Amino acid sequence: MERMLNEYEELIEAYERTGGVRGEFSNPNIPSLIVSGNKILGKNVVKGLELESEAVENGVNLRLTLRKGTKIFYPMRLCFGLVPKDGIQIINMHAVIEEEAGMNAISHCVFPNAEHILHKMNFELEIGRGSFYRYSEIHFHGEKGGVEVTPYIKGRVGESSFFEATFVLKEGRVGVFDTKYDIEVLKNGSIELYAKVWGKGNDEISIDERAHLTEEGAKALVKSKVVISDNAHSKVFSTIDASAPYTKGHIDCTEVVQGDAIAEAVPTVHVSNNLAKVTHEAAIGSLDSREIETLETRGLSEEEAIKVLIEGILS
Amino acid sequence: MNEILIVDSVYLKKDGRDIVNGLTFSVPEGTLCAILGRNGAGKTSLASIIMGLSGYRPTSGRITFNNVNITNLSVPERARMGLTLAFQNPVSIEGLKISNYILLGAKDKNEKTAREALERVDLDPDIYMKRTLDKSLSGGERKRIELAAVFAMRPRLAILDEPDSGIDAIAIEKIKELLLSFKKINTALLLITHRATIAEIADIAYLMDAGRIIKSGPPKEVNEFFITKCGSCFHSKLPE
Repeated sequence: MERMLNEYEELIEAYERTGGVRGEFSNPNIPSLIVSGNKILGKNVVKGLELESEAVENGVNLRLTLRKGTKIFYPMRLCFGLVPKDGIQIINMHAVIEEEAGMNAISHCVFPNAEHILHKMNFELEIGRGSFYRYSEIHFHGEKGGVEVTPYIKGRVGESSFFEATFVLKEGRVGVFDTKYDIEVLKNGSIELYAKVWGKGNDEISIDERAHLTEEGAKALVKSKVVISDNAHSKVFSTIDASAPYTKGHIDCTEVVQGDAIAEAVPTVHVSNNLAKVTHEAAIGSLDSREIETLETRGLSEEEAIKVLIEGILS
Repeated sequence: MNEILIVDSVYLKKDGRDIVNGLTFSVPEGTLCAILGRNGAGKTSLASIIMGLSGYRPTSGRITFNNVNITNLSVPERARMGLTLAFQNPVSIEGLKISNYILLGAKDKNEKTAREALERVDLDPDIYMKRTLDKSLSGGERKRIELAAVFAMRPRLAILDEPDSGIDAIAIEKIKELLLSFKKINTALLLITHRATIAEIADIAYLMDAGRIIKSGPPKEVNEFFITKCGSCFHSKLPE
């Protein structure tokens, strides 16, 4: 029992480092879930939201259902993590947002002492007609870079529905980060996918985001901002596949390279309908020396100035 | 009165060209000094040398700030001693909140300081505190934010490179008021300008040409000399 309490405390401390507020897990109006390894340390649901959970060998299986017509005011708070330096955590999540429903969820994945940790998130998502789901995932991996993270989201966004996914990893080291988003968007539906990552040391970053606009009027925005320093390596593959009339899409990838880091950006546009319109832009460059000098004239050291600029880019 | 800045026999050669030629002048503590001169006279290079920007280390000469030889100090070291520079064309910084930018160099890093600084340059804090320093700002707005950031820093000496450029005629009076208010907080200013209306508020003016000071004195007198003598000057010949 004492060990569980300590684990809870450590996770909550790391959760606070990523911008979370401790009291959110005890507020009955805020839906929440806190999972350490394969142990569910806390869970709260509100009317119209169902959350089934099952502990398995190295993680948990979750099934989240937001019932038809339910709109949840407060964003759901999720905290996944591992306190020990070694371990595996696999989260299998199946989420169904029924018709005319909507909610926001903020997931904090924290591994404060990580040396050899594998964190897998297999997320299947179905959003019904006229609904919305906004999902933010914020990570903290400690300072040693010993985490391998593989968040995979496969989903379908229904007619006139909206899905937004934001992935943020700015604090501490990344380790190995390999993400895949693969989302189909139906008639007049829209998605926005954002990734903001700062890689350092020998971090390896791979972002693979695919949007399939398969029905009339579907829209997608795929936007990535990656900063890599030292010997880090990043590859960003962004794909929009537009096969229906009046579909629209845009890919925007910005990568900032410092030191001996290496960046690759591969925006892919696949259009098979002459009434579809998809655009893309990709820029890889270094920080502007004038911007650094400007901040230095206010007394910031070069390192402090670079940090301010990177935080601005990833904000 | 003590001199806050002494520039002594400074030379700068860049790409085989003489940019600054044995420049010598000083700025007394808490005073407003104007530097006048035609395009290409070396005014912005002078600002860069005093601030110690990359590529602007003097070939020879000495710069003393607050009785310390700063000739070989870095930009942040100079800034921490109370010296700063507002660039002629301030940069945009993506994602950085204007309030946070203003407070970067401020001693009192609180909301009140940022709001007061914005009010000084006639920008509504309720609108600008939360905006970011991005490219959506006009050149004039960006210049005013730069002046606000310098005011919040309360340096011993601020070099303002063309503080009036890009600012509309209505706001210019507010900017003049701000420049005069620097004296009240004991900040000396080195104003690099083309505009007589800005130069006239200075206590002393220097006229630069071909990388050196060719005249100093009351702003009205120096400005008159600038207009009458430098108007037909082609730099290769200095006025008598």
